Amino acid sequence: MAHRWGMAVDLDRCTGCGACVAACHAENNIPTVGPDQAGRGRAMHWLRVERYWEGDFPDVRLKFRPVMCQQCDAAPCEPVCPTYASHHTDEGLNAQVYNRCIGTRYCANACPYNVRFFEFFNPQWPKPLHLQLNPDVSVREVGVMEKCTFCVQRITAAEIDAKAGKRELKDGEIQTACAQSCAARALVFGDLNDPDSDVSRLSRSPRGSKLLEDLGTLPKVTYLDRQTQV
Amino acid sequence: MDRRDFIKLTAITGTSATLAGCGNPEHQLIRFVPDEDIVPGIAEWKPSVCPLCRAGCGVTVRVMDADVDTVRNGQAGVVAMSVAKKLEGQPAHPISQGGLCPRGQASIQVTYHPDRITHPLKRSGARGAGEFKEVTWDEAVAELVGQLDTLAAAGDQTSLTYLSRPRCSRRLALAAAFLEGFGAPAPIGFEPFSEDVLRRANAISFGHEQLPTPDIARSRFVIAFGADFLGTWNSPVAQNAAYGRMRQGQPQVRGKLVQVESRMSLTGANADEWVPVKPGTEGVLALGLAHVILANKLRPADAAGRAGAAIDGWAGGLADYTPAEVETITGVAAMRVERLARELIDFHPSVAIIGGAPLAHTNSLFHALAVNALNGLLGSVGEPGGIFFTPQAGPQPSALSPQPFDKLSAKVLLLDDVNPVFGAPKAWKVRETLEKVPFIASFGSFIDDTSVLADLILPDHSFLESWVDSTPESGSIEAVTTVAGPVMKPLYHTRATPDVLIELAGKLKAPVALPWKTAEEVAKSQPPGAARSSALREPQGTPSSSRGERLAPRKYSEPTFDGDAATYPFHFLPYASQAFADGSTAHLPWLQEMPDPLTSAMWSSWVELNPLTAERLKIAQGDLVDITSPYGVVRAPAVIFPGLAPDVVAMPVGQGHEHFTRYATGRGVNPIGILAPATDEETGALAWAATRVKIARAGDADGSLIMFAGEMREHPHGHETR
Amino acid sequence: MSDAPANRLSDDLLRPLLQTSWRFYALVAFLGSIVLMGLGTWAYQMYNGFGVTGINNPIFWAVYVTNFVFWIGISHAGMVITAILRLVNAGWRRPVTRCAEAITVFALMIGALFPLIHLGRPWLFFWLIPYPSSRQIWPNFRSPLVWDFFAISTYLTGSVLFLGLPMIPDFALVRDRTTGWRRRIYGGLALGWTGTPKQWHRLESAMSIMAIAILPVAISVHTVVSFDFSMAPVPMWHSTIFGPYFVAGAIFSGIAGLLIVTAALRKFLHLEEYVHPVHIQNLGKLLLLMSLLWAYFLFVERLTVWYGNESAEIAVLRVTQKGSFAPLYWTMVVCNFVMPFSILSLKKLRTITGCVIASCGVLIGMWLERFLIVVPSLGHKYLPYTWGTYRPRPVEILITISTFAALVLLYTLFVKFVPIISIWELRAAEHPSPALLPAAAREQALGETQA
Repeated sequence: MAHRWGMAVDLDRCTGCGACVAACHAENNIPTVGPDQAGRGRAMHWLRVERYWEGDFPDVRLKFRPVMCQQCDAAPCEPVCPTYASHHTDEGLNAQVYNRCIGTRYCANACPYNVRFFEFFNPQWPKPLHLQLNPDVSVREVGVMEKCTFCVQRITAAEIDAKAGKRELKDGEIQTACAQSCAARALVFGDLNDPDSDVSRLSRSPRGSKLLEDLGTLPKVTYLDRQTQV
Repeated sequence: MDRRDFIKLTAITGTSATLAGCGNPEHQLIRFVPDEDIVPGIAEWKPSVCPLCRAGCGVTVRVMDADVDTVRNGQAGVVAMSVAKKLEGQPAHPISQGGLCPRGQASIQVTYHPDRITHPLKRSGARGAGEFKEVTWDEAVAELVGQLDTLAAAGDQTSLTYLSRPRCSRRLALAAAFLEGFGAPAPIGFEPFSEDVLRRANAISFGHEQLPTPDIARSRFVIAFGADFLGTWNSPVAQNAAYGRMRQGQPQVRGKLVQVESRMSLTGANADEWVPVKPGTEGVLALGLAHVILANKLRPADAAGRAGAAIDGWAGGLADYTPAEVETITGVAAMRVERLARELIDFHPSVAIIGGAPLAHTNSLFHALAVNALNGLLGSVGEPGGIFFTPQAGPQPSALSPQPFDKLSAKVLLLDDVNPVFGAPKAWKVRETLEKVPFIASFGSFIDDTSVLADLILPDHSFLESWVDSTPESGSIEAVTTVAGPVMKPLYHTRATPDVLIELAGKLKAPVALPWKTAEEVAKSQPPGAARSSALREPQGTPSSSRGERLAPRKYSEPTFDGDAATYPFHFLPYASQAFADGSTAHLPWLQEMPDPLTSAMWSSWVELNPLTAERLKIAQGDLVDITSPYGVVRAPAVIFPGLAPDVVAMPVGQGHEHFTRYATGRGVNPIGILAPATDEETGALAWAATRVKIARAGDADGSLIMFAGEMREHPHGHETR
Repeated sequence: MSDAPANRLSDDLLRPLLQTSWRFYALVAFLGSIVLMGLGTWAYQMYNGFGVTGINNPIFWAVYVTNFVFWIGISHAGMVITAILRLVNAGWRRPVTRCAEAITVFALMIGALFPLIHLGRPWLFFWLIPYPSSRQIWPNFRSPLVWDFFAISTYLTGSVLFLGLPMIPDFALVRDRTTGWRRRIYGGLALGWTGTPKQWHRLESAMSIMAIAILPVAISVHTVVSFDFSMAPVPMWHSTIFGPYFVAGAIFSGIAGLLIVTAALRKFLHLEEYVHPVHIQNLGKLLLLMSLLWAYFLFVERLTVWYGNESAEIAVLRVTQKGSFAPLYWTMVVCNFVMPFSILSLKKLRTITGCVIASCGVLIGMWLERFLIVVPSLGHKYLPYTWGTYRPRPVEILITISTFAALVLLYTLFVKFVPIISIWELRAAEHPSPALLPAAAREQALGETQA
């Protein structure tokens, strides 16, 4: 049976530390845009940890929510791309084909989660920071859109490995960079078509819900609410 | 001649065009033969230890081939090298447990930083001007040898000072041995947010002069006083891992977190209950909880043992700490005190943690002792879900005296990755003191606020290019030592500082005998009497012996704040930021661009203001604000921050470097600079939470506040009615 | 009203073609330099990267897309006026038909440029064209942007035809009246027109077909443009009102544009005898009608959103009406409704000047309306953490300005080479003034030439 990749985010475990954000930058060759461009709203955090205040002092609370591309099964970004740069793969991922993208940015408008980012300039890595670049991930040029891919390079590498070794992939064998770096184990990645996988199990949790579910995008990330103490 | 030599010969003498189609001879690159066996495109994973804080997280590094620009025999070219690509936590490591913190992930940028020092440097301009010229290693070592020989000849060996970032590694043992052999005093450790008060309290209460390891994973109730244990305090990665398990790691059991602090930290943001408290009164709350437990006979008083005896009135049931009294002093409602105390008992096992701002007042030791007593009372010491102490081999170096700098009479100062010019209040006049030191040498990899004053720079390898070891003082119930070799060859003409020290020792006129010959030997060596068992080590000697401490029980005395309340109406709370901790990682671009978890600010300094305060002072988000203490003023944009009492103002630490690479130089302001030189009465540690300030609006937003987030609330207009 | 002799008509209307003053060259030079500056700015943008604009995350579309919609909207001037008025045989249309059709073609050309300007990799725009490519994929026909491509290219083709066909008899006239190179060029353009009844009949049939055909094409063009927005799940974009709203707005801005152009041509080409105040005033009445219609759409849209109280949409409503966009929003309301209504509903104020002022206001207001549709919604989608703001940067402003200059430049050149008022149509009515009803009756005999 084909894989169907999904994630679960346990908001009761997430502490908002941001290790996942840094790990994603390191894994996916995301450019650091610098203070001027960040000030103009061009920072490219494929994964971000949203934070919302609730209440007022002294009854004030804060909540954290890591948001990445939800790899929607009914992704609004896919029909609107004129060149099929944004399209759905057989394994349920929303793939962004950089070579096809001509930069209309319609997909970014259509995405209700605002998880799509645009290369406003050709990225620069002052030497020798370029040595850190991950050779398994493209470096995107100016004018194309990009976003979280569920670390498709890791998925592909693991699938090739499993195929070469004539074996099945095990649950937990593939970890996205964010999930791997999370000390609290708040992020879980896996195969939703495997009912015994951690992610499937967590997706069935009564605490689980989807982000902006009522828009009908069919996202594949399940958020487990923070539990309240009895 | 074998094939390899043949290829080497042809490669060095010949050239090969690497850019096809251009035909431009300038683009022909010399490709040198690699020094190691490289299989292109295949990754290896090698172990190392992250050195950015004392937690000592074991990492595994993905190493792959890359083309590195290099110069050989005077010719520029490229060579294929195995280089580090990414760090991950080692899954089986007791501290990191497979995870990392954002600083750990970003630490790889230390190795590849474009402003890293690549050669030994000698000062060529005025001190502090930042002008250096490259010298060879032989010249650099010879100069340092000369300086030390001069000291020895004059009988001035005690004028050699070694100032280091406190490390839990054998490197410090090497430094200590070298200094001892030379006749100089022991190394001095300096870092902002050093938590020495807690170590002292733990020595008094439990006989362990070290930071504790709270067993959060198995705890059902954690009450933390000011300790940002999910952010930067103590051993954050291990604590994050434990927190995840506390919450959802056991079926049907979910631990509760209560955070008591004056400014909502990252940890406080995750708490089930956030309890704001008046600054400098946290220990009173702890004793209030103990009082309720004792008054209702929920636990026997003598359970607290020595920790209880350190508190005045313990035997009498803490009569001074009734809930009503606690409410008056701390501002926490009496009913809440009662309820929390009962929950501490009902949700068993429970543990109390203290760190951060409560231990940065003039009465800090009391707060630490109070929380220790509470832990003792709860029976959490050494019990699952409670407080442990990682078995240690020996004492850790710590700041020797309250102001190690005004007594600094060094003639030769060696700096090992330490930045006191940045990390100490200006009132301590560190810069002025250092400027008077005749000779300063630095081993760090970067020019920063302190190393810019150096006369000689002998750059260390980055940790990925070095033998590294770590024996952390906390973060694990069992003793942990991690030793790892370099994961890649050095990129530049740097040398491992342990190797340099060893060479130095050997080249002195009166050589110092050292038991190690190489950095590798140092890293792999074990300290004498290293603990192997997982049982708590028995305290060596009585706690009062080494420092002549009073064993007299402490009682609460009001904290003293520098600055009178009329002129300076606000409490000032600098805090270790998630991105930069104490400022030592401000040079890493990923961390500059990472949105701060609570404010989403990037590349910025800011001042956090309570919304009502801001409204009252007519300060909008982004407006520039002057924060003035009796010792100085800093200007930064304002951020509206609901997690603060109206009379508290907070600022993150990390920015405000005058020198620290292109990414941090001249960026933002450093709140440490304006702190009062107040100290804890008993230990002399810097009381960095004891400064009062006044606020004045200084101007409209100037774009220096860069935030990633749009809105701060999910329902921005939820307050309004139509 | 006296009849101008047929020759005088031709003389007046051919004068711009045959006589050129220094003012023409000065104007062309001036406009040309602005247009060149615009092209240079675009080249600068392509060379340095799209980041030189003010676009950011989350506001990925702003001034360029606003301009795109605005210009496509202006282009509805021609279609509506000439097609509708031609179909209902409104005689007073005659002096303005070619004006309007020319505006259509030029505005379309300019408008169609903006999807290229706003691309991240504009050198690959041709991937929108459905040709069998070596990449073995067609354009994504589900994408409204591809629909845009078809709709606009169809409309452009149709408009060029609709503009070009009636020019043939006039080209023949110029050919007959001139010598030398002009005779050769206009002779070529006239396609061998000799004015036989058969040719007239064919011309009239073609124009009738085009008049009917162009109407649905034009309506569909702006509907398809509106689909760029309404097909995306963005608060206050995803609304069924967008199709009719955009078409109404397009007609509205088209009429305003046409009115200004007509009044300008009347003044600068001394066409007072052919374009009478009543022509402008009738356009003004149409403008008033569209203003009321526009206001109706605005009211219905906003009332529905406000009443529905869906939180994401309310956020957008709030920020446009009360928040940071409020100054622009209320300016738009004044420019699009309050001012035109006040001026155009009072006969005393409905002079040429008054109408022109009202039209200028409408152009400003309609540009703002497009901007306020695009930007606030993108800046306030479903997750408040991602909300953002936008400010145009110099490249966007310069390119916008240069497109206005481009329109005027194209128009100036057009007026130099083509009679701006369709001579044969005027003649066919026998009378330059359309005010008299009997003249309308005579239009049935459209095929006859008059001596």
